Amino acid sequence: MNDGSLENRKEHEKSQKQSKSSKFRRKSDDFALAIRKVAVAQVCESVGFQSFQHSALETLSDIIVRYIYSIGKTASLNANLAGRAEANVFDVIQGLEELGSGLGFAGSSDVDRCVANSGIVRDIVHYVGHVDDIPFAYDVPRFPVVKEWKGMGSFWEKGEEPLGEHIPSWLPAFPDPETYATRSSAGNEMMSVSNGEKTELARVERKVEQSLLNLQQRFAHNGNEGGSSRDGGDNGRARKASLSNPYLAAPLLFGEKEVEVSPVLLPAKLLNEVALRNHVPENCVVGNHVSLLETFAPAIEAIKSGLCNSDNEQKKVLYNQRPLVHFKIGIGKKSLGMAPDFNSSKKDPGKIASWFGNDNEKDDQKRRAEKILKESRESSQERAQL
Amino acid sequence: MNHNPQSSDGKHDDDSALSDFLGSLMDYTPTIPDELVEHYLAKSGFQCPDVRLIRLVAVATQKFVAEVASDALQHCKARQAAVVKDKRDKQQKDKRLILTMDDLSKSLREYGVNVKHQEYFADSPSTGMDPASRDE
Repeated sequence: MNDGSLENRKEHEKSQKQSKSSKFRRKSDDFALAIRKVAVAQVCESVGFQSFQHSALETLSDIIVRYIYSIGKTASLNANLAGRAEANVFDVIQGLEELGSGLGFAGSSDVDRCVANSGIVRDIVHYVGHVDDIPFAYDVPRFPVVKEWKGMGSFWEKGEEPLGEHIPSWLPAFPDPETYATRSSAGNEMMSVSNGEKTELARVERKVEQSLLNLQQRFAHNGNEGGSSRDGGDNGRARKASLSNPYLAAPLLFGEKEVEVSPVLLPAKLLNEVALRNHVPENCVVGNHVSLLETFAPAIEAIKSGLCNSDNEQKKVLYNQRPLVHFKIGIGKKSLGMAPDFNSSKKDPGKIASWFGNDNEKDDQKRRAEKILKESRESSQERAQL
Repeated sequence: MNHNPQSSDGKHDDDSALSDFLGSLMDYTPTIPDELVEHYLAKSGFQCPDVRLIRLVAVATQKFVAEVASDALQHCKARQAAVVKDKRDKQQKDKRLILTMDDLSKSLREYGVNVKHQEYFADSPSTGMDPASRDE
């Protein structure tokens, strides 16, 4: 069966299940598929069967779905013909009569039969009277579950003035300017750190942190899955502020550096919060979320490479602040014995890749990033004192 | 017309019988859960807030499945009886009643549903032949 709005994913599914391709057997329908198999099995057992072939059970369950579907379709058609939007009991009974007309029912040949007195209904009454009441084996929740989607909040709702007349107020509001505008200022601040001024940097960091958290919360409210990928992405997004729109950037391969990014000291607290909300982001939701992760992955790589440059001494630091992150022990060993130059301009990607191993887990990278951050902070403190 | 007052009384009776039946449906729990039926009815465009109608459809579906299954059971038992006629000792072994595709397709054919299964899939000309003749 093909309908015009077929997505690639469904086509792929259909090509996989050749003999079972029907609109009642889609991947999104797995729950209903399982339930109806159980229901049909229960009815068969009540009839007297002791076991069944799998293909027979699936065929029968498929057929009853089509039965229900055609009842619904006929009933709604009858209701529409009568000028109603909602179906009636008579519509349903007429639908049942149409379906049962193949085998026939008592009184079907009467020209002026009453729908309420139709043989179909009498058959059903007879059936209900004679059959034992066997409830369904499981407690079925209401499905499909509808997730509440809270929008991002329009300009009007937030009370903000849209920038410019060309932006109507009912559009979603822009994120805080700090999330995409402080990148260059943070870079300038970095120079002042080595000169001993840290207060301004701390202030800028706090602003960045706050606006990033706001952004995260807004994304979380949207009820999107894959929020972990977005958490990592928010960090990267702030770092790429001065570059072009990150959503339009082409994805980079692992280890590839897009641009020489001067290191930015992430506040440890922000990294902690980000990591706390991190699950293992290995499965990205299809759609635009995938592009988010791909876009932010190079930014994360850039951070790592940037932070590598600032390392002077390697120390093994223990992390007790993030109970929710499960990391592999033994990463710290790799950092021992390596003393890259602080002033070295570029690290080739191969070295970075070997340093970090072949992990692709974002929380591992973040943990390392934080470790390096702390080390660099201490090292920069030492240098400031010198 | 003569049967007009009678038919109007009859209609009252029919209506009351129908409404009584719908009321009694709420006591009877069909094996097919309401949520499942509602899901597929919603997919087909059927819109009704009344739970009794959904129960009606569920009961009708259950009746349909029961009829098909009982027909298949008849076929299965008939086949076992036919086998038993030839070999009496099989009566002890084949007591399990299994719903097979074969019986199901036979019983569904009467309902107008054509479920024919491929008997075997042959990927080479010698599939299914005796091993002796296969080497030729």
